[in-house]
Amino acid sequence: MTLIASEFINWSALWRIVLAALIGGAGVVIVFGFLLLGVKFANNAKSSGGEWAGYALAGVCGLICVAAIVLGIYAMAKKPSSKPAKKTAAALIAPSFRSSS
Amino acid sequence: MGSELILILVVIAGFSFDFTNGFHDTANAMATSIATGALKPKVAVIISACLNFAGAFISISVAATIAKGIVSPTVLVGGDGLELVLAALIGAMTWNIITWYFTIPSSSSHALIGGVIGATIVATASGDVNWHNLVKTVIVPAILSPFIAGGVAALGTYCAYRLIRRLGQREARTGYRYGQIFSASLVSLAHGTNDAQKTMGVISLALIAHGDISAVHFSVPLWVKLGCALSIAGGTASGGWRIINTMGNRITNVESPQGFAAESSSAAVILASSYYGYPLSTTQVVSGGVLGSGLGKANPIHWNVIGQMLSAWVLTMPGAGVLGGVAWAIADLFGAHSNAGAIVICLLAALAAFGLWTLSKRNPVTAADLDRTNVSPVEEAELAGIPPAIAAA
Repeated sequence: MTLIASEFINWSALWRIVLAALIGGAGVVIVFGFLLLGVKFANNAKSSGGEWAGYALAGVCGLICVAAIVLGIYAMAKKPSSKPAKKTAAALIAPSFRSSS
Repeated sequence: MGSELILILVVIAGFSFDFTNGFHDTANAMATSIATGALKPKVAVIISACLNFAGAFISISVAATIAKGIVSPTVLVGGDGLELVLAALIGAMTWNIITWYFTIPSSSSHALIGGVIGATIVATASGDVNWHNLVKTVIVPAILSPFIAGGVAALGTYCAYRLIRRLGQREARTGYRYGQIFSASLVSLAHGTNDAQKTMGVISLALIAHGDISAVHFSVPLWVKLGCALSIAGGTASGGWRIINTMGNRITNVESPQGFAAESSSAAVILASSYYGYPLSTTQVVSGGVLGSGLGKANPIHWNVIGQMLSAWVLTMPGAGVLGGVAWAIADLFGAHSNAGAIVICLLAALAAFGLWTLSKRNPVTAADLDRTNVSPVEEAELAGIPPAIAAA
C-alpha cells in the first residue's frame, strides 16, 4: 500500500507544498490579524510610546504581508512550466494516425 | 485550404474555451469577496478581469503542450492532430457550459485534459493514453489539494477568530475586507497565469502543426498571447454570477476573516504546487479553502452542495472526454481533414451553448442579487448567526 502511494505521490514535494501553504495561508492570516491589532492598539493608546509600539507592530506585519505577495508573484513567474518547451516540438512531424486506425 | 479552415476553427474554439474558462472561474477569486461585501460584484469581476489579463503575460514562455505526459505527442500533430485538438476544445467548452448551467464549480483544466483524452481514445482506438501519469499528475493532486487548502484555511480561520476576540467584530470585519481584496487579487493573477497560458499552448501547437511557426525556435506569437488574455479577461468580466453564488453563498456562510483565510490558503497552495511542478485546479483548491473556512468557524456546511460539486469533479474528465470523443466521431463521419465535419461540430457546440444560455434565463442570477456591500452589520450578523449585541461590540 505504501509502495503504491509512493509511486503516485512525491512525498518530498507534498510536504514542501503543505509547509508553504501553512506559512503562506494560515501564517499570513495570523500576521494580518496582528497588523489589525497593532492599528487598534495604536488608536487606543494613551501614551505616545504605546501608539508607536502599535504602529511598529502594524508596520512589521504589513511588510511581511507585502513580502508574501511579492513571493507569490515570484513563484508565478518562475514556475517550471514557464520554461521553453523544446523537446515537444521535435515530435511534431508525424504520420497521420487515421490511416493506421 | 482544408487544414487552414480547421486551424482557424481551432483558434476560434481556443479563444471561446478561454472565454468560458474566464466566466466559469471568476468565482474562484472573487466569490468570497463578493459574498462578504468587500467588493461590489461588478467591481470585483473587473478587477479580476484586469488581473487575469495581466497574469497571462507574467511568464514569458509557455509549455507547448496540453495533457503533457498523458497523451502521446504524436496524436496531436498534423491535420488529424488539428481536428483532435478541435474536438477536445469543443468537449471541454461544452462541459464548462453544462456545469455553469447547473451552477456547479468544476475544473476547466480537467475538462480540457478530459476532452483530449476522450478524443484521443476515439480517434486512435488504441492505448495512446498514459493512465499511470494521469493518476500521478492529475488525479492524485486533484484529490489531495482541496484537503490541503481546506485544512490550512480551517486553521487560518480558527486563528483569525481567536484574534478577533481581542480585535472586536467591527474592526475585524472592516480590516479583513481590505485584506480580502489583496488575497483575491493574487488568486486572479495566478489564474490568469495558469489558465490563459494553457490555451496559448493549445493554439501554438496547432500553429506549429500547420507550419505557421517554427517547431525548433518555439515562441508564442503576440497575437495569440493577446487573444488568449483578452478572451479570459472578457469571460471573467462577463460575470459568471451563477457559480459565484454557489461558491460564495451556497457552501457555507462566509464572513470577511473566513474569506481572507480561504483565499490566502488557496493562493498559497496554488502557487506552491505550481512552483514545485504540480499545476492544480484553481476551482478545487478554492472550493476546499471555502469549505475549510466554514469548518474553522464551526459554521453549518451545506453538504448537499458539496456532494453536487464532488459528483461534478468526478464526472468532469469522463464527461468532457465523452463530449470530446463524440465531437471527433461526428467530424470523422465526414471523412479525414473534412471542413464540413469541423464546421458541423462547431455549429453543434454553438447551438448547445445557445440552448443552455437561453434555458438559464428562466432562473437568472444577476450581479444585483449578489451585492452585499449595503448589508448592515446587524443583517450580516443575522446571516452569520451572531447575536446582534455581540456583532455591535
